[in-house]
Amino acid sequence: MIDWLTADSALMPFFDGLIEGAGNTLLSSGAAFAIGLALGVVVLALRVAGGPLGRVAVIVYVSAMRGTPLLVQLLIAYYVLPSLLGISISPLAAGVLALALNTTAYVSEILRAALSTIPAGQTAAARALGMRPWQCWLHVLLPQMFHRALPPLTNEFTVLLKASSLLSLIAVSELATVARNATLQSDLPLQVFAATAAVYFLMLWCASTISRSVERRFARLLPNVH
Amino acid sequence: MSIDFDIVAQATPALLQGLKVTATVSMVGIPLGILAGTVAAYMADSASRPLRMLALGYVELVRNIPFLILVYLSFFGLPKLGLLVSAFGIAIGATAFYTGGYFCEILRAALRSVPRGQVRAALSLGMTGWQVQRHVVVPQIFGFLIPPSVSLTIMMFKDSAVFSVMSLPELTYQSNLMTADTFAYLEVLTTTALIYWGCSAVFDAFGHAMETRVRRWSHR
Repeated sequence: MIDWLTADSALMPFFDGLIEGAGNTLLSSGAAFAIGLALGVVVLALRVAGGPLGRVAVIVYVSAMRGTPLLVQLLIAYYVLPSLLGISISPLAAGVLALALNTTAYVSEILRAALSTIPAGQTAAARALGMRPWQCWLHVLLPQMFHRALPPLTNEFTVLLKASSLLSLIAVSELATVARNATLQSDLPLQVFAATAAVYFLMLWCASTISRSVERRFARLLPNVH
Repeated sequence: MSIDFDIVAQATPALLQGLKVTATVSMVGIPLGILAGTVAAYMADSASRPLRMLALGYVELVRNIPFLILVYLSFFGLPKLGLLVSAFGIAIGATAFYTGGYFCEILRAALRSVPRGQVRAALSLGMTGWQVQRHVVVPQIFGFLIPPSVSLTIMMFKDSAVFSVMSLPELTYQSNLMTADTFAYLEVLTTTALIYWGCSAVFDAFGHAMETRVRRWSHR
């Protein structure tokens, strides 16, 4: 039988660590997502306006990112990239970089799908009104794309938040790391991992609830132009 | 930095040995999960409130708990409950559990694509619930099911890399052993990534082929 009372006192340091771990998890996945959003736009621009070479490069990049496990990508960023570039980077930087490059591929595909729903006539009309291509992107295409892509993008963030637990496997200190260390110290894996799962559940559930309300807000703010 | 092809040649047999384990886990675990997800989807749309809550709770667990934590919880936790399951058994179980939660969502969305009126019409013609599914609903939803199911299969295939944390001798674990031996991170990890990528690409192509076939049947 599991003794939950003994468990309690042995686990006090773990409960303190949980909050810090959760903060690190949020920070690293938030940073990775922000980079991924920016790079996703760049990659999409390369795909639609980069000529045949840019198009093929993006297709190969997206296919590679979606076809290999994130864990293997993390291992490559941690073990291979520094020696390849001749620099040393911290596990956290390697981890966030790999997460960001991974999410970039998904973000660019989400944005591409959103772009394909905007009638080509709008671009033609904007150009006819004398807008430069960048003005057309900034004022016509990007706002509508993000509006349409908001639900899948927030979903992608929750996927990323969930996947960021893999950072613990390349020595980044976050929530899953805290749990693993606490298990080694206390030998109470059930309690530790159940509590950790509960914290993840809470974070992810809050993230999807917030994203749903943001979606509703956004839907009201912007008239749906078709 | 130069690539040492001798190490690639030396590592490949061990990696392919690992791929066998990865493939076995996927080929057993994913179909089991599709079965579980199908049951959950019909439960989630059933008239019974407890069954609905159970199915929706299951989906929420899968959606909101990282795969790694589920694997840790099973691998370290089950022995404490007196349940001794091998790493292979846990890998199959975790794959099935996760696949089931996602497939439940996919199937529910597909089921909703069939207008309710068709089901009512079929029922009023005297068909049993089973016949309605067999002859009216299921034939129409394949087109909706295939693309997300292929993505899910690839996702679970890739997620199996996580099983390396419980020393299951699958592809990523073999890769970790090789890098620990040779320190040839570039060669071994790149080969590993290429093997995963190749398999995902094959799945993807297979999915596209199925989609084209199915689309021929639909007259809408």
